[in-house]
Amino acid sequence: MAIVAEHVDKVLGSPPSRVLTDISLRVDDGEFVALTGRSGSGKSTLLYVLSSLDTPSAGSVSIDGMDVGRLSPTELSRLRNEQIGFVFQFHYLIAELTALENVLLPARRSGQERTRREYAESLLERVGLGRKLDRLPRQLSGGEQQRVAIARSLVMEPRYLFADEPTGALDSINGEAVMKMLEETNREKRTSIVLVTHEPDFAARAKRQIHLADGKIIE
Amino acid sequence: MISLALKYLVSRKRQSLFTLLGIFLGAAGYVTISGFFVGFQRYIIDQLVNSSAHVFIQYRQDLLETHSLDEAFFGSDMGHVFWSARPSGREDYARIENPMSWYDRLDSDPRVAAYSPQMTVAGLLSKSRASASVTLTGCIPEKQSKVNDLASKIVEGSFSDIGSGGNRIVVGRELQRQLGVELSQNINVTVGSGTPTPFKVVGIYESGNRNSDLQAFGALADVQKLDNAANRINEIDVKLKDYNQAGEVARNWSKMSPEKIESWDTRNSNFFSIINLQTLMRYVIVGVVMLVAGFGIYNVLMMTVNQKMKDVAILQAIGYQAKDILFLFLFQGLLLGVSGALSGILVGYLVCRYLQTLTMAGPPGSTTSEHLHIALNFGIYSQAAVLAIAASIFASFLPSRAASKLTPIEIIRGGVE
Repeated sequence: MAIVAEHVDKVLGSPPSRVLTDISLRVDDGEFVALTGRSGSGKSTLLYVLSSLDTPSAGSVSIDGMDVGRLSPTELSRLRNEQIGFVFQFHYLIAELTALENVLLPARRSGQERTRREYAESLLERVGLGRKLDRLPRQLSGGEQQRVAIARSLVMEPRYLFADEPTGALDSINGEAVMKMLEETNREKRTSIVLVTHEPDFAARAKRQIHLADGKIIE
Repeated sequence: MISLALKYLVSRKRQSLFTLLGIFLGAAGYVTISGFFVGFQRYIIDQLVNSSAHVFIQYRQDLLETHSLDEAFFGSDMGHVFWSARPSGREDYARIENPMSWYDRLDSDPRVAAYSPQMTVAGLLSKSRASASVTLTGCIPEKQSKVNDLASKIVEGSFSDIGSGGNRIVVGRELQRQLGVELSQNINVTVGSGTPTPFKVVGIYESGNRNSDLQAFGALADVQKLDNAANRINEIDVKLKDYNQAGEVARNWSKMSPEKIESWDTRNSNFFSIINLQTLMRYVIVGVVMLVAGFGIYNVLMMTVNQKMKDVAILQAIGYQAKDILFLFLFQGLLLGVSGALSGILVGYLVCRYLQTLTMAGPPGSTTSEHLHIALNFGIYSQAAVLAIAASIFASFLPSRAASKLTPIEIIRGGVE
């Protein structure tokens, strides 16, 4: 079981410009991969293509042996719901929902809101928000918001976690806390993690680093 | 999804409220305006239908055509006649040719409730120096009172006192005032070049309409005598069991007889064109209100969709499908529409009930006043509900679909860079 990309090209924008060129890579179960590179190197685009949010212009991506390009919308949304967690630079919390409700949003999609509730509470406790379950996002600090977002990405116990500069908008203390959570998740749940970051310290803590420059992998 | 939709609505209280208000006003306006117009129309129709006969059989009237007179002048052996000045004018028979066959037909027709043969003439009524030229109708009182409600509008005396002859007359209130005559007094009636004949006033009626209060009614035999036309009649008024059949009955009868046959609705056709105009106006007003309300929903939802793009992105990223997103926004529009429609209908109903307690002057020319007649029928309310809800579904569908077409990657990429 793995994520496999074969000869992936990605062309974006108008006039079209090539963002990724002939990328082939494999992320095995339980791996912790850091995608690094300067801004504009295509690392975020690669993350989205690998994670099924975006589609390659050429080549293919398969998750657990299923070609992402050939999945129906229903299959794709189920895959994202059950197998994949996302953390972005921005927290993307829904302003009208409390911290706990936000964390439970993926569970609600698949009717597991009740069964996952305890787990969601324990996740929020682990990220230090055990007393702020019913706070709205605007009543939380930036670091706390991002920790809620991480709890949300983990509530379905996904096999894959994609994180796009999750520490980018945080100070070093909060950034460190987020990083620790990712490492714990990778260790305890054997969740595969793909992390985009431009901070060398964090990249160095991954088990494997993939460096991109001008849309190509530099080994 | 429903709870999230509700939270969205609650978090924008003022916007939601104003949108609701739009639909609310539309529905309430529709109910009130329709109730007012439909009630008024129904009241007028009731008045027409109850107070008059439904089908009027009148003596034959033909317009002369180029060859109408050929035979009379030249016999049938002339091949073709060229007129230097072609004949024109109207050929009047001034009587119904064979009333007995009409009576037979009317007696055997199951749709007919009652009929009343009449002789209507133009007459001059005078009392000492006061005089008035009026329409004088000769009728058989028992039959006449079955086809219209004149008898019930008698304010002094009695309609049946006309009897079957004996120079007795019933006059309208206006006419009575013009002539300065009172019950049991005599007036002189002159028809054409005949000699004035004294008639005794045995009844005075007040219909509420100034024009019809300027008429007079006498016994059929008396009027025929005045006109030197024994046994002649020129109109038969027919009351049907179901007034809605009047048009059809009139068409049928005109096919089988030369007489001029009119139904009550063609006789009052100008009134019906006013009704149609009112109905059109009603739809235009309500259409505009609904359009504005619909645009309100459209705008608010479009704004919400734009503000909530990030929510749409994350919902899709965590496994919600396009149809869930569509539902999320559609539900908001629908909720606004349904609650606006229901509250609007309720308030509209209350306004209608209030309007019913008010009094108004009757239709133009009338001399009585009445309560406002407001229709409260189910049709109006279901129409208002359907219209309001349809408008809100339509208005919320476009923004909702736009939201469901968003792909998460575009939003996330746009947000990051």
